[in-house]
Parts: sequence; structure tokens; C-alpha cells
Amino acid sequence: MELEKRGAVAPLLVTSTFLPLVEAQAKARRVTPRIVVVPHPVGGLNEAELAERIEAAAGALLPLADEARGSA
Amino acid sequence: MNSDWDLAVVGAGVAGLTAARVAAEAGLRVVAYDRMTPGGQLVNLTTLHDVPEPGEVTSSAGLLGRLVAEAEAAGVTMSFAEVTRVRAGAAPRLETSEGEVGARAVVVATGLTAGRLGLPGEELLVGRGISTCAGCDGPLFRGRAVAVVGDDDWTAEEALELAEVATAVTVLVPGQPRWSGERVGRLAASARVEVLTGATVTALRGEGVLSGVVVATAGSERELAVDGLFPYVGRRGPGALVDGLPTDEAGRLRTEGGVRTAVPTVFVAGDARSAATGSVPSAGADGEAAGAAAVAMLRPAGGPGLRIVDPTFGVQPADSAAEAQAGGTADWSEVALFSNSKPNATELLRGVGERLQEHWELPELGFASKPNASAAADKDVIDWLSQRYKMVLVAVGD
Repeated sequence: MELEKRGAVAPLLVTSTFLPLVEAQAKARRVTPRIVVVPHPVGGLNEAELAERIEAAAGALLPLADEARGSA
Repeated sequence: MNSDWDLAVVGAGVAGLTAARVAAEAGLRVVAYDRMTPGGQLVNLTTLHDVPEPGEVTSSAGLLGRLVAEAEAAGVTMSFAEVTRVRAGAAPRLETSEGEVGARAVVVATGLTAGRLGLPGEELLVGRGISTCAGCDGPLFRGRAVAVVGDDDWTAEEALELAEVATAVTVLVPGQPRWSGERVGRLAASARVEVLTGATVTALRGEGVLSGVVVATAGSERELAVDGLFPYVGRRGPGALVDGLPTDEAGRLRTEGGVRTAVPTVFVAGDARSAATGSVPSAGADGEAAGAAAVAMLRPAGGPGLRIVDPTFGVQPADSAAEAQAGGTADWSEVALFSNSKPNATELLRGVGERLQEHWELPELGFASKPNASAAADKDVIDWLSQRYKMVLVAVGD
């Protein structure tokens, strides 16, 4: 969020469990974060499970990134 | 001396957020400081045991999210400046990384420092085998042996969490354990956990990375080969931060009953208070008491008084707009990844980053990470990333 405040486009990959905390912290910091939610947890996943998370996250990130670049 | 705030709360964990919310709901102008991010030490925990009631479990992030949202809704201003000194007195002053601040009252709710053994070479091994966050760093020790040092319920929970991934967890108790009977049973039931009482770590082994410890027990000394060490002893209170208040041997602030100190304008809540029990419910209760005590001290005449509504509340601060324009001159080919160093976070980031690299035909991706999962991001790294890159993909959570 500090990066976003400093002018960098900073999408956050957030695991679902931490989403409420990140949203509350963003509100406290007066920023509107670009969030990609990933099912919790990420730690402890095997290679195949992690690949699924990557695929899903990339599916959400690419249009978000395109939009940020297009509106810049 | 002017007062910038009615109440300044130092530390935005469970106790601090609760105190700030109570005071703000009573109409006080309240600022809550946390140099990292609101949430305190619980940010590093996934699950809280015995919260809200004994035998129950709660999501740490969910609880903190609620506390932050409630404080925010009550009108608390969050500051991420670092408080470097609290001058207690009739008109308390705070020295912060953004200058000096005055407040009519202060609640100190910093919690305690991370655990340390006080051994030579220890700081060099932090993040290289030494950690104080099983939830953050435990998976790094999957299939390896670790040791945990401490005697309280937190120690026991961390050991049990580590036993889910490590091959062996040796719990080194300097004296006798103080954890609950329920945890005695759970530790005994784990085939991977061994508890050694009267055990003191006298030396650390390892060149650059921890490889073992020397443990002294009842007249004998032995080498214990471990890749991970999680100390929960030697935690210090904020005595060095606050001028003019008595402390106990652990640097926690002594009070004169409850949350009140010898200085009427300064209150202490949560683990920073001498004799605090160190539980989440007690931190919340302390926060309630400290917030109410501050309100009572500042409003001795009784009644809710006149609430001044800040007309700028919710408006983007002027300096934020300036910051937003202060980014570097990077173009869209400059993209980086920033890992929080939690297990698999870097792998996730790299995988998603590669997809973006392919999608945008980027020549390369920059990379940075926190030194370890439980440490704050380095300010210089944030500066570098924000100036050097147009987009930074960040991993949060675990």
C-alpha cells in the first residue's frame, strides 16, 4: 500500500484469510488497493496445487494490469 | 505547549486499537501509531487459540480486520510514523520519525519486543534459522529439526504448530513450564515434540546459517543439531521508550492499579504493562480500560461533552496527493515482484509474474523481498521499488 501511495501501481496478491485485514488496513491508510484474492493458504502447497493458485491469480491479474496500463 | 491530539496511542495491536476506538467513540481526537501496519504481533499469527473463549479458535486476520475497521469508523487517525520517545508529564510529548507531537494523554500499548536469547551472534542468525513466527517461517523447516525456547502458552502453541511440519521439535524450558494443562496433554500426544525442562541455550552454532545450539541441563551440556530456533524468552517492554515511568525487570511499565501509571496523563495497556497476562482477551480488556480512563481523565466534569466532528475526515490528506505524484519516471516495461518471504509467496509471485511478463512481452522482472516474513519491509527497498518500477506485484498473507 505504501508503494501505491508513492505512485507505483502495486497489485496485492492476498490470501482470502487476510482479505478483511488488508481491506481494513487500506481504509486506515486512505488507499484503494488493487487486490487479487488467492485461496488460503499458499504455504505448504505442493507443486500442482501451487500451479492452480498461479493460474487463477494470473487470470485475475492480467485484466487488472491491462486496465491500469490502459488508463495511465 | 499545544496539543495536536487529545489522545495518542502508541501501538495499534489489540490493546491499542481497542483503547483508541473507545476514546474516539467518546469524541476525543485520537491518533494511533504503528510503524508497520495496524495489527500488532497478531499480524503474524493465523489462528488464535482460546479466543474469544477458552477452547475456541478465531482467525487472527478476521479479528484484526474488525478491530481496525471499528477504530477507523470511530474516527481514529492511523499514523505509520515510528514513535521513538514518549515524554511523560502533564503535557506529554512524543518524538516520532515525522517530528514532535503533543497530546493531552497517551496510551502506551506497544506490546513486547521479539524473543531473544541474548547470545553472541544471535542477531546475525535472525532470518537465517532464528525466527519468532512459527506461522510465517515454520514451513521453511519442513522435514527438519527445530528447537523452541520458552515456558508459556504461546511457546507451547508455536511448538505444536511447528510439529505439523518439522521432523522433531525440542522445547527448551529454562525453568518449569507455565502452559495450561490442556497444552500439556497436546504436547505429550505429539510424537515429534520433546520437552526439556531446566534447559538453557548457552551458545549458537552455525556460520551464516544456524546449524545447532548448545543446551545446558542440570550439570551437563550437549549439542543439539537444529536448523530452526524459535525463542520466546527475553522479550522486553517499552521501558526504554518512555521517560519518567518505573519499569519492572523486563522493561514493562509498572502501573498503580489497572492501566493507570504514576503520571496521570499516561496509561498502559496490553503486554507493555507489568503483570499483564499476555492473552488476547486481557489485551482487549486493557484497551477498553485505558480508553475509558483516558476519557475520564480528559472529561472530569462527566457527560459526553461536545463532540467536534473533523470536517476533513475521510478526505485524502494533502501530503498523500504529493506522494502520489512523487513516483519515479519508470515506464510500463519496468515491473517488479515484492515478496513477503512467507512460504511459497515467492513461488506464487514468480509464477504470476511470468504470466504477466509473457502477456506484456517484458524483457525482465525486478525482484525484492522482505528479509524474513516477520520483519517490516525495509524503507530503502520501498523507496527503490517506487522510484525504479512502474508496477510492483506484492504478495500479502500466507
